[in-house]
Amino acid sequence: MDDKKTWAFGTREVVYGAIGAALYGVFSWATNIFPLPAAGNITFRPAIAVLIFFGVAYGPWVGLLAGFIGNTLGDALSGWGFYWNWSLGNGLMGLVAGLAMPMINDFKARADIIKGVTWGLIGIAVGMLFASLTEMFVGGISFNTALVGYFTPAFIGNAIVTIILLPILMIAFAGVASRRGR
Amino acid sequence: MLATWKYRVRDTFIQRLDPRTRLIFLFSVIFGLTIPEIWDYRIIVPLFVLSLTLYFMARIEWKDVWRAWVFILVFVIVIVGVNGILSGRGGPDSVREIASPTLFEIPFYIPGTEWGFSVPITISKVWFGLVQMTRMLSMAILAIPIPYTMAPDVYGVSFRRMGASDKFSFAMDLAFRFLPTFSRDFATTVDAQRARGYEMEVLKGGIAAKLRRLAPLIIPVTMQATVTGEDVIDAMDLRAFDTNKRTWIKSVELKYAPRDYAMLGLGAAIFIGCCLLKWVFGIGAFFIPDFFTAFLGY
Repeated sequence: MDDKKTWAFGTREVVYGAIGAALYGVFSWATNIFPLPAAGNITFRPAIAVLIFFGVAYGPWVGLLAGFIGNTLGDALSGWGFYWNWSLGNGLMGLVAGLAMPMINDFKARADIIKGVTWGLIGIAVGMLFASLTEMFVGGISFNTALVGYFTPAFIGNAIVTIILLPILMIAFAGVASRRGR
Repeated sequence: MLATWKYRVRDTFIQRLDPRTRLIFLFSVIFGLTIPEIWDYRIIVPLFVLSLTLYFMARIEWKDVWRAWVFILVFVIVIVGVNGILSGRGGPDSVREIASPTLFEIPFYIPGTEWGFSVPITISKVWFGLVQMTRMLSMAILAIPIPYTMAPDVYGVSFRRMGASDKFSFAMDLAFRFLPTFSRDFATTVDAQRARGYEMEVLKGGIAAKLRRLAPLIIPVTMQATVTGEDVIDAMDLRAFDTNKRTWIKSVELKYAPRDYAMLGLGAAIFIGCCLLKWVFGIGAFFIPDFFTAFLGY
């Protein structure tokens, strides 16, 4: 793992972090306008796949910024308020997914897509676990509620979205990147 | 379909406060209640009243905010409150350890069999559920007005002035500025796909098929955004971004007025007061007040 490249934080990371955050905010808001069907208390947010994609494509800092700012932005747009622990949880989701970046050479190769999805799933687990467990201290909920009421539905919904949409995003990105030559 | 901010200019005390004051006060209340683990209604109820007063002072129209209230109340009452009353978990162990009369039992049995169990609902659990909901609402009520009363263009500079790095703050500022553009791109894409016969309202098939059918909306906007990013990076590099410390135009507008010092002082008093009450004077732990037991006839 090329640590220098993975953890670089310059103009590129600032811009793609902002773009990822804005897209995450727009798609989160759009999902509120056109809600997708859900099973039980599991909701599907396609925006999650975009967040994971930005982490996988541009690295952990971009994932962190896109998740933290994007969640703040989505909540601001929907008018739900500001919940720092969920924003940070979303940031962690993108950051962990971003650890896949140095391992990916070809965005349309099956092995690299599997790596992206795997790190994305790990990111979702870490991020949602952080947000759910901090609710124990912030909201005073029990461990069972945090795990069953918050973490499990969030993880399942986000994981399904990532497994289905991330490969499509990665393959589309491979085409765009080859055309741009960057 | 346009993404519009919930923010409106209102001539209120809340909007005249410096944005940093609002955020710091929010954190003071959250940490004041959570770090020393306050579960005493004598502290929680006054804080709830204070939060509610500040909320009403923001003068947010009900038609704007009702969706947020529904979302918050469903979470607080259904997930947190009912769970607290059923299990008594989530707070201090004393909720389950205090000897408390059982009000009634809720049976969970497989119909026609004796397989299952009963959950006793005690006075302790009911009081805990009420306290837990009030405690959570005290914090949520402070968080709800922020999108309605804080201008989108001050988030970045507010975080910068609270000590965040230039890069982080600039990313936040840039994200808020990009949002209308991507929202417009998304609306254009939706219209273009509809013109091609895409029926957004009638997504058929299973969950996987439905999600896959969203790709024609998500992929073009996302890919176009990645291309835009390269142009923005070039433009910023040409303007020597990240070579020196930034100046922030909005920064001069952020000034603490006497009202800000008053609110910051109140926030500090709440946080320090909660810590002192709990750790020095031993006040703030969970207990059932006599009036509640008497009210229930025990």
